[in-house]
Amino acid sequence: MNKATPIALFLVVLLAAGGSFVWFVEQPSSTSNYSATYNSTKEIVLYANAIGWNYNSSNPNPTLYEKTHVLLEFKVIEQDNLPHTLTVNPGTNESTSNDVFNVNIPAVTGTIVWLNWSFANPGTYTYWCEVHPTTMVGRLVINASSSNGTNASAVPTMQPQSPSLVSYSNSIYQPVSSRDANDEVW
Amino acid sequence: MTLGLTFELAVFGSFIALLIVMGFLLYYFAVDYKRNLLGEVSSALPKKESNTVLSRMKRELSFSAFMMDDSKSIGIRYLITSLVLFFIAGLAGIGMRISLWFPVPSFLTPVQYNILLTAHGTLMLYGWATGSILGMAYYLLPSSVKLKNDSFGVVSSIMYWMFLVGSLFIIFSKSTATWYFYYPLVDQLTAIGGGQYSFATLIGVMLILIATTVSSVIFLRMIFFDRDPSIRLSNMSLFAWSVVSTAFLIIASAPVSIIANGFLIYDNINPIFFQAGNGSALGYAIMFWYWGHPLVYVAVIPAFGLIYEMLPRFTGTKIYSYKSGVLSLLMLMILSGTVWGHHLFNSGLGTVWDLIFSTTSFIVAVPSAISVFNWIATMWVGRVKLTVPMMFIINGIIDFIIGGVSGVMLADVGANQLIHGTYAVTSHFHFIFLGLTTGVAFAAIYVLFPTLSGGRNYNVPMAKVHFYLSTIGTIVMSGFWLVGGFAGMPRRVAGYFGIFQTYQDAAAVGGVILGIGFLIFLINFLYSAYKPVETNTSNILEEEVTS
Repeated sequence: MNKATPIALFLVVLLAAGGSFVWFVEQPSSTSNYSATYNSTKEIVLYANAIGWNYNSSNPNPTLYEKTHVLLEFKVIEQDNLPHTLTVNPGTNESTSNDVFNVNIPAVTGTIVWLNWSFANPGTYTYWCEVHPTTMVGRLVINASSSNGTNASAVPTMQPQSPSLVSYSNSIYQPVSSRDANDEVW
Repeated sequence: MTLGLTFELAVFGSFIALLIVMGFLLYYFAVDYKRNLLGEVSSALPKKESNTVLSRMKRELSFSAFMMDDSKSIGIRYLITSLVLFFIAGLAGIGMRISLWFPVPSFLTPVQYNILLTAHGTLMLYGWATGSILGMAYYLLPSSVKLKNDSFGVVSSIMYWMFLVGSLFIIFSKSTATWYFYYPLVDQLTAIGGGQYSFATLIGVMLILIATTVSSVIFLRMIFFDRDPSIRLSNMSLFAWSVVSTAFLIIASAPVSIIANGFLIYDNINPIFFQAGNGSALGYAIMFWYWGHPLVYVAVIPAFGLIYEMLPRFTGTKIYSYKSGVLSLLMLMILSGTVWGHHLFNSGLGTVWDLIFSTTSFIVAVPSAISVFNWIATMWVGRVKLTVPMMFIINGIIDFIIGGVSGVMLADVGANQLIHGTYAVTSHFHFIFLGLTTGVAFAAIYVLFPTLSGGRNYNVPMAKVHFYLSTIGTIVMSGFWLVGGFAGMPRRVAGYFGIFQTYQDAAAVGGVILGIGFLIFLINFLYSAYKPVETNTSNILEEEVTS
């Protein structure tokens, strides 16, 4: 056996095992993709329909005005037996390269997909369907909540334009935990 | 920003360049190594014949094997790779154990825990169990059937590289979908779903499955068409019979899983095959377990074959009953293809199907028991020499009995309702995989050590420490899991209820002991490989070879 073979094998095993372990437990590079802490919740109902997220109204893709550190409960109801996704990415252009989240909506009418998310950073986001990027696209404006969201009862800066189908539940106060943000969602 | 990107590209490019340079160097080393092995006369032979000569030699561990494509070299490649994957997956497992010391996740977040869980399961089954079996078969078959024509070098080599790339896909994708990739979790490409690159794990598994299937065809070709005429089927080694059984099992079931994984990848683009709403998510589970259960036997049957080969040498007799050994291996091949439904007792297959699968699961205990009684009878009539490999074999038989009996309990539909998804299941297959599959594979590595290291003996005290630590670790870990599982301790979760802390802490201690045992194996390997040459390179598994 070559003199170098055993030590090389030993090192390969150690490096591979240690390196893989570090790789496995390393947090994803864009930590902003993790849901932030929150102390109130809001329900947002969207309809997965190729005509638009709010197909049954004059404004099929309403601009949503929400706040940081509020748990937004997206309730997506499948309407037309077609495949859809709910994709949210920062900015006003549709993009999947740095999306906040991207979920498939099963193509069976009546299926409800829940997705809970709270934004840490204010800004304009785009919510859209990858399958129907021209008809199912809207803006999601996240405003900073004062004092990191503790003032949950503050009135939103602007009211949503089409409240008929996009329903909002009242804010429910939940104490902010000091632990990892991920635990709150699950 | 541009600067950062350029810097990353430069690092990446240099890394690739370094790999290419190393590849070229390795190629020239390999050419040299091959010429040394064959001598001046044979190195002028055409490749097919020189490969046949090479595959009948006794061969040592060498990185040159990665550039040679005779069967023995392919076997050495698989053995090295599967050992590396074993340690990667093992460290992931120990990380999970340590994280479960406290009921509330402290060391790992749930996402990290799920990544480790998936990596541990997938790499252990596809990388270590399947890889070590492919390695043993490629390494030992040419000797045990006296291969007269080694003509599938290029195909085997390509399949090996697919296996390696598949393993890298699994490692790099950081999927959290667990090793059975149930729909719809696997297609939710988010950090809190199946992992952002979960589809890459599916591609990796597909590559490994294709490699395994094609290699199985090559094994059957070796055994049935390319063996020496002096070896008749009626006196072929039982290891070769176990490879026959495994290969047929793989060919009959793996393609179903390849297709199912392809469907899953397509469902990422357009979900039409397995939709959560209309019940065909169960269709994926059925297609998966049609392969998933035979995979378990694929990991076990070659270990049976290795025990059948090694046990008689350490007891000084022939195997008690050769015919019942062959019968047991072939019955396992047929019956183990009919039991997959017992993974889905709680998924709504219906009572009749549940009872059918329950019955077949009870019946599959019969061939396993035939083998166990055959081994016990062999030890009974012979004089047992307690060498380290023999200790691993005896422990493997004991662990197989414990794991097998708890498996029969799991096969009962009523009991399964209670302990489905608890640590009792984890305990059942860790007894078998750690005690039998891993234990016997390491027994074979110890037996092959003088050959693989070119005439060195392993350090016996250290090997015994490895044996005792890994055995005690297995029994402590899986034993407490079994008890906790019957108390209702759920498996594959990052945290647990406080009442289970005793079981989890004991299992964590067992897992760490196990890890130290395998670390001692590594140190022993390094220490013994640098001892002076002190013995000949023969071993009991390939002693029939006339090189």
